[in-house]
Amino acid sequence: MERKLDRVQALIEAERCLYCYDAPCEKACPAHVPVPEFIQSIRSGNLKGARELVSLANPSIEVCGEVCPEEQFCQSVCTRAQIDSPIRIRELHKFVTDNVKLSDLEFDLPPFNGKKVAIVGGGPAGLACARELRKYGVESVIFEKKELGGIPVQEISKERLPEEIARGEAKQILKIYDAEVKDEKITNLNELGQGFDAVFVSTGLTEELELDIQGVNLPNVYTARKLLKTIKSGMKTGLGKRVGVIGGGNVAVEVAAALKREDPSRDVEVVYRRGLKELRAFRDEIEEALELGVTFQFLAIPLEIKGSDKVEGIVVRRARLGPPDEKGRRTFEEVPNSDFFIPFDSIVIAIGQKASDIFPELEKTPNGLIKVNEDLETSKKGVFAGGDIVRGASTIVESVADGKKAAQSILKYLGGQNV
Amino acid sequence: MFKKVDISIDFLGIHLDSPFILSAAPPTDELEMAERGLEEGWAGVILKTTSVEGNPVELKNPMMSSFGPMSKKVVGLGNIDLISHHHIDIVEERVKYLKKKFPNKMIAASIMGASKEDWQTLVLRLKKAGADLIECSFSCPQGSMGEEPGKMLAQSIEATEKVTRWVKEGADTTPVLIKITPQVTDIVEVAKAVKRGGADGITASNTIPSLLGVDIYTFEPYPTLFGEGAYSGLSGPAIKPITLRTIAEIAKNVDIVISGNGGAFNWRDAVEFMAVGASNVQFCTLPMHYGFRTIRDLKSGLEHYLKEMGFSSPMEIVGKALKNIKNQEELVKPETRSEIDLDKCIGCGVCYVACNDGGHMAISWDSVNRKPSVNEDKCTGCAMCMQVCPVDAIRMREKLDSKVHYFAERR
Repeated sequence: MERKLDRVQALIEAERCLYCYDAPCEKACPAHVPVPEFIQSIRSGNLKGARELVSLANPSIEVCGEVCPEEQFCQSVCTRAQIDSPIRIRELHKFVTDNVKLSDLEFDLPPFNGKKVAIVGGGPAGLACARELRKYGVESVIFEKKELGGIPVQEISKERLPEEIARGEAKQILKIYDAEVKDEKITNLNELGQGFDAVFVSTGLTEELELDIQGVNLPNVYTARKLLKTIKSGMKTGLGKRVGVIGGGNVAVEVAAALKREDPSRDVEVVYRRGLKELRAFRDEIEEALELGVTFQFLAIPLEIKGSDKVEGIVVRRARLGPPDEKGRRTFEEVPNSDFFIPFDSIVIAIGQKASDIFPELEKTPNGLIKVNEDLETSKKGVFAGGDIVRGASTIVESVADGKKAAQSILKYLGGQNV
Repeated sequence: MFKKVDISIDFLGIHLDSPFILSAAPPTDELEMAERGLEEGWAGVILKTTSVEGNPVELKNPMMSSFGPMSKKVVGLGNIDLISHHHIDIVEERVKYLKKKFPNKMIAASIMGASKEDWQTLVLRLKKAGADLIECSFSCPQGSMGEEPGKMLAQSIEATEKVTRWVKEGADTTPVLIKITPQVTDIVEVAKAVKRGGADGITASNTIPSLLGVDIYTFEPYPTLFGEGAYSGLSGPAIKPITLRTIAEIAKNVDIVISGNGGAFNWRDAVEFMAVGASNVQFCTLPMHYGFRTIRDLKSGLEHYLKEMGFSSPMEIVGKALKNIKNQEELVKPETRSEIDLDKCIGCGVCYVACNDGGHMAISWDSVNRKPSVNEDKCTGCAMCMQVCPVDAIRMREKLDSKVHYFAERR
C-alpha cells in the first residue's frame, strides 16, 4: 500500500496541477491546506516553503499524509479530474513532509502572554488547538490519560500509519510548541482546578456501541476498538481461525484487516447490512483489506449469535438495497424467508462508537455528544469543544479543523488575537 | 494498404524523397549513424562539419545540457560542441561510400575553414568525392575559424559575402548552402550578402548562443566541467519561434532558397517552416532525443496534411503564409472579444486570474458555480485568457454582420 513519490514523480505530478483560482481542493479540505500554493512550491523546488504552508494549515499533516481519505475531500473536487485524473494531493504533501521535517524549519513564536487554556484530550483536535493557540502566545495544558496523539497513535494499525510518524508528530506539541501534558483523566470541569482562562474539550468517543441481539455475551464476542488497541500494543488477540466482523465503517474494515494481518491463515469476513458502496470506510482501507484477503458478506443483517458456551456462528437475514435516505445513502430492506447461518468461532462487534457519560455540566445532544454553537462554544461560557465528541465519528482532518477553529474562538473570547 | 501521396521534392536540382534532412550535427558524425538514418527513411544527410585542420578539435564533455519542466525535460537543448573531430580525409571517404550505397539520397557535407585555401580545398575535395551539396557553417556558436576566431562569420556582412564567393568559386555547379545565425542586427542584410556572394541557398538558422543555466547553490554554469562552463548553442522547441521569424524575414526580402533548421520537432513545425519560406527542413534535436525512427511520423503527418489540404506537393506549402505576415502598424484593428464555451470550461479559474492580473480585468468569477464570464465592455480581446485555458474553451470572436469570425484558434 505504501505509495511514496520520489522527486521525479512528485515534480511530474506537481506539473499536472492547474493551479486553480479559488481552488476547490483547498476549500474541500477541512483544514484548508493551501493546495495549489504548496504544489507550486514543489514545482519551484521550494520544499521548505511548502512545508511551512502545509504545517501551518494542518498540524497533523504527517498523519494525514498517510491516512487522510482524500477521496472524500480535496481529491473529490479536483478540477484536473475533468481532463484526466485528479492530482495525487495527499501523496504530494506526504512528499513534502517526507523531505522536510518540522525541525528543519526555524520558528519565531511569541513569548507566552500569561493566558492559559486547558485542553482535555490529546488527539488531533486537542493538538491542533494547542498549536494554534501557541502561535498567539497562549499556553496550553493538555490532559491526556492515555498516550498523547489520540486514535492515530492508539488505534490505527502501524501498517497503515507508521508509529514513529503518529508519535513523532504528536510530540512536536511538547518539543516545538512548549505545551504541557498532564497524565490525568478529567471527567468534569471542576477537576481541572483553577488557573485556566478557557477550556477545550476534545475527548473523542471512548465507548463502543453495543449490538442488541442474542448471544452477544458469549465469551468469543469482542469489541473492535479494544482489539485494535491490543494489536497495536503488540499483544496477541487470541481469536480463532474463522472470524466474523459485524459492521460497515472504518473501524470494521480496519479491525478485519488487522486480524487478517495478525494471522493470515485465519478467515476474516465483514458482515454488513448494506452494500459495497454504502461502506463508511476509506478507499485505501477497503483496498488494503481486500488485498489481505478479507472477505465481505454484504446485505446481511445479523439476527443472532449462535452457541452455547462459545460462538458457533451467526444467523443473518438477507437484505436488499432500498431507496436513498435524506443524505442520499441507500437504505436496506429485509428479504422475507432468507435467513441463513454463517459459521464463525469468534465475532467482533464494530458497529460504531459513542461518547462516554462525562462533563455532566455541559449540554448534550440526544446522542450524548457535546452541544456547541457555530464558534464551537458549549453551553458553558469559555468552554469549547470539537472533534468526535461534537461531530460523532469523523476524520482526523475534521478534528484538526475543529481544533484550529476552537482556538480562534478562544482567542476571540480571551479578548482578541493580541491578548 | 493505405494510399500515399508523393512528398518528394526537388531541392536545388537534388531529388529528395521527403523534405526532411538530418542536419550537420552529432547524428551524422559517425558513418554507421548516417547509414542508419538513411535506412530509416531520412531524405538526406549533411555530414557534421569537417575541416582541413591537422589537429582534430578538442571536444569537451559533458557538452550537453537542457532545460524544461520535469515532464518534458528537453524544451531547449544546449551544447558546447564544436565541428566534427573527423578530418576531411575521413569525411571524403564517407561521402563516396554513402553516395554509392544510397544513390537516391542526398549526401551532403558541412565545412568550415580558416582561409580561402582551406575553404576551397574542402569544397574541391568534397565535390570530387561526389557530394550532392556543400553547406558552410558561418555560424557555430563557439565561433568560426580564420580572421576573427570566436566570432561567427555570419555576423560580418563583408566576411559573409567574401567567403561565400570563395566557396562558390570552388564549388562551381555543386549547390552551396550558407548556414547563418539569427544572432545578428539585420538578418536581411546577411541574406543579401550570401546572395551577392553567389550561394545557392541559405540554411536558416544555426543554434543560438545561450547560457543554459547556473547552479544556484554552487554558482557553476551548465554544463559544468570542473565547476566552469561556456555559452551553449541552443536548439530544440525553445528556438522554433526565433527560427520562424528568421526564415520569414529572409523569405520576404531576399529571393534565395532556404533550408529551414532550428527547433522543428514534428511535421507541423516543419509545415510552418515551409509556410514561411523554407523549401525543406533539417532536424537534429528531434532525432538526438527520440531517434531516427521519428522520420516515420514526420512523413506520415505531412502526407495526411497534404491530402487534407488538397495539395499535390509539399512545395505548394512554401511561402504560403508570407503574404499574411506584416508589420504591426499595417494590421487592421479588429473589434474582438473573448468568448468562453462554458460547456468545455472545467472551472479552474486561471483565465480569471490571468485577465485580472495580466489582462484588462474583464473576466468575472462566479465562485459558487466556478464559472468565468466575460464583461464585453471591458474586454479588449487581447487573448491572454485563451493562452492559459487548459482545455481550449476560449476563443476570440468578431461579429461580422450575421457571420461570426474567430481569431487565432489553435488546432
